[in-house]
Amino acid sequence: MIEHDSTVELSREELIKRLEQEARRRRGVAARDLLRAYREGRLEEPGEVADLLALAGLLPEDDPIFASA
Amino acid sequence: MPAPDPAYLLAEVRQLDSTIRAGGPEALPAFLKLTNLILNSTVLAPGTTLKLIMLLPDRTKAALGGRTAREPLRLNDGRYLRVSGKLYLDQASQPNFLKVEETSYQYQLDQDGDRWIFRYDYLRNPPHAYPASHFQVNGQLAEAEALQGLPLKKVHFPTGRVSLEAVIRLLVEQFKVPCNQPSEVWRPVLAESERDFLKVAHQALSGPEH
Repeated sequence: MIEHDSTVELSREELIKRLEQEARRRRGVAARDLLRAYREGRLEEPGEVADLLALAGLLPEDDPIFASA
Repeated sequence: MPAPDPAYLLAEVRQLDSTIRAGGPEALPAFLKLTNLILNSTVLAPGTTLKLIMLLPDRTKAALGGRTAREPLRLNDGRYLRVSGKLYLDQASQPNFLKVEETSYQYQLDQDGDRWIFRYDYLRNPPHAYPASHFQVNGQLAEAEALQGLPLKKVHFPTGRVSLEAVIRLLVEQFKVPCNQPSEVWRPVLAESERDFLKVAHQALSGPEH
């Protein structure tokens, strides 16, 4: 993580680690499953994890975490 | 410390708004600076700041948030405001105009957000049937039978897109969160900033079209 006054710059690995930790802590699921449920419109109360969804939105569309199982 | 000159702050708001509207790479840091300016003039506890989070090497997208995933903004009342959002520079426009894909403002008692009080969410293109802009409150309805078993906190009240300035006013006027500046300073600043927001804010439908 590179931190400037106003900006935090993350590598993909750092971003995925954040998503993984918080998805498991808040919902008890893997980040991949949380994001898949969201994209399929099945995620209950997405606003509760809006910060994680915004973070995941930084990943490119073809990132492996969005791939179907 | 004397209160800053409102005229100086208003000029800064206008300058930042102009930079945001011009698009291009300077729009993202200008958006953050304007957001921090209105938060710092009002409810934000000293030493707290909102950050832009970027995924290297892409500098065309950013998330708004705290330094870590569990770091909402600390307020002057000892509670927290979780501000999150996704911003991007639209590659289909020239120059690349700044667009806001989603925002979420959650007032909460604890750092983890388990004891949240209310939340405003906005999604430009929601993948679900909830209203694209909605409000939720973590409370109980006096006439609970109207909800037929559904907890009030799971009701998504449709709203227009709500500005951060409106949320700040709600915190100050209704929840009595202390402000860093006198009202003679922060009211004109919020008004100027919100006026600029309302000129360009995308408004979403209250539900799916099909």
